[in-house]
Amino acid sequence: MAIWGIGDVLALPKVQCPNHPDAMLVEDYRAGDMICPECGLVVGDRVIDVGSEWRTFTNEKATQDPSRVGDAQNPLLNGGDLSTMISKGTGAASFDEFGNSKYQNRRTMSSSDRAMLNAFKEITTMADRINLPRNIIDRTNNLFKQVYEQKSLKGRANDAIASACLYIACRQEGVPRTFKEICAVSRISKKEIGRCFKLILKALETSVDLITTGDFMSRFCSNLGLPKQVQMAATYIARKAVELDLVPGRSPISVAAAAIYMASQASAEKKTQKEIGDIAGVADVTIRQSYRLIYPRAADLFPPDFKFDTPVDKLPQL
Amino acid sequence: MEQNNSLPPFQGLASPQGAMTPGMPIFSPMMPYGSGLTPQPVTNTNSLSLLEEQHRQQQQQQTPQLYHSQTVTTTTLPGNTPLYTTTPLTPMTPITPATPASESSGIVPQLQNIVSTVNLGCKLDLKTIALRARNAEYNPKRFAAVIMRIREPRTTALIFSSGKMVCTGAKSEEQSRLAARKYARVVQKLGFPAKFLDFKIQNMVGSCDVKFPIRLEGLVLTHQQFSSYEPELFPGLIYRMIKPRIVLLIFVSGKVVLTGAKVRGEIYEAFENIYPILKGFRKTT
Repeated sequence: MAIWGIGDVLALPKVQCPNHPDAMLVEDYRAGDMICPECGLVVGDRVIDVGSEWRTFTNEKATQDPSRVGDAQNPLLNGGDLSTMISKGTGAASFDEFGNSKYQNRRTMSSSDRAMLNAFKEITTMADRINLPRNIIDRTNNLFKQVYEQKSLKGRANDAIASACLYIACRQEGVPRTFKEICAVSRISKKEIGRCFKLILKALETSVDLITTGDFMSRFCSNLGLPKQVQMAATYIARKAVELDLVPGRSPISVAAAAIYMASQASAEKKTQKEIGDIAGVADVTIRQSYRLIYPRAADLFPPDFKFDTPVDKLPQL
Repeated sequence: MEQNNSLPPFQGLASPQGAMTPGMPIFSPMMPYGSGLTPQPVTNTNSLSLLEEQHRQQQQQQTPQLYHSQTVTTTTLPGNTPLYTTTPLTPMTPITPATPASESSGIVPQLQNIVSTVNLGCKLDLKTIALRARNAEYNPKRFAAVIMRIREPRTTALIFSSGKMVCTGAKSEEQSRLAARKYARVVQKLGFPAKFLDFKIQNMVGSCDVKFPIRLEGLVLTHQQFSSYEPELFPGLIYRMIKPRIVLLIFVSGKVVLTGAKVRGEIYEAFENIYPILKGFRKTT
């Protein structure tokens, strides 16, 4: 790994081959030499050897990798982790006369990014709770960094900004999570997350796609333990209901919940409104309201190849 | 009525009179479609007005315009090839204002609430006011002002110890001023040297009904710059018009609430601006 590139010749004190002053010196990174390509003379004037400090052999017992110096950098997100940390000493010399360790102060590494690092930790914790993949976490971190550097939302709680960034990242990746789901893993209220969400969209000048009923079907149905047939039927019902404009002004989550209720009631796996409400984060009266709106056209809403365990006319009517 | 191109609200590439040469860049001052800050109707969505346009553009159109797409496209006229395909996310360019080519709606928004402030010009002792005035409540632990109400006009006032007062609930500017004067009179009768300085209307709220259902999803797609529609947070679409600076809450039922105005004309102007756009997003079923 070369630190000094050929293009950096200007920065160096002018090293050149005595016989060929115009020749560009080729470097041999292993030995740290600079060699003239014309005559092969080694004009080794370098002090720095970029090779490793000691030879390492894979040792099954040792858990550490001795060639690594420090943690892997996180270059995208930190402002370059070039700070010095003094670790706790080992051996007798690191303790002064009273038994306290000298150089106890190992804090203040990159104090400017301390809040950001904290937020990243919080984001990872939140995402872990709902098993979000690494790409969403990375996107969230990037969004947070952009918002943090912009400083337009500086007064808001970092946790609120982090939660809102998580919400936006899920949306942008095409797998939206409801505000209530994000609330469940965060200490911030839905109202505050919603406020921060709108502010961040304005600050970053982005927009997100509108949520649809289909975005949540697979998650809600698997959480309820419904078979694939029922899930597909519910997706179809919800889509048809929106197309036929049976549920104007209703939140897509409520429509999805009502569709799941209808599909599950028509199949062998019947779920109650309360169960569906628990999973979807919707009140069961809301499901009832939306169900009442789609019930009259129930026959048109089911997919044509659906196997009814309970026929359409026997569906519950609330 | 010449809306040849379907265009996003702030950019257009062909003038109806053909006054612009083809391929004119977007930043031309000869935009016939009004300022980029005022919303312009998008005409390529399924709407009743499309039928009118189709008549006019029968010979000119290459591509059919009536298709159920909710994305913004620029249809090309022969000879006027747009250089740039526009997306709803491109920044708007301020362009010289021109009147949209549709007749005005017959609907007038009704004012629902006026908020005004006035300075009574002297320090007040809220405790005496609260004790001696009728219909006054004062709870210093909760809020540092006396809340007084009068029946005619039906309004509420917040009276602060600095002498400043906020009057809310009136339905017209005159009523707001009258109510503020009545409150000042009450304070004066209680023995304070109240004056009536700097009466100013701070906010006006109006509402109206366009009488047809609206496709909010379409509206948020084409007017992304200005709209915010989050059914999880609020069932209405929040439209922040830049000129005039008014916030509109637009609902599926067709009811519209306009707020943030300092003068009555802003409400009317904002509604006249939004009405053709809403017509374009009328639900056809």
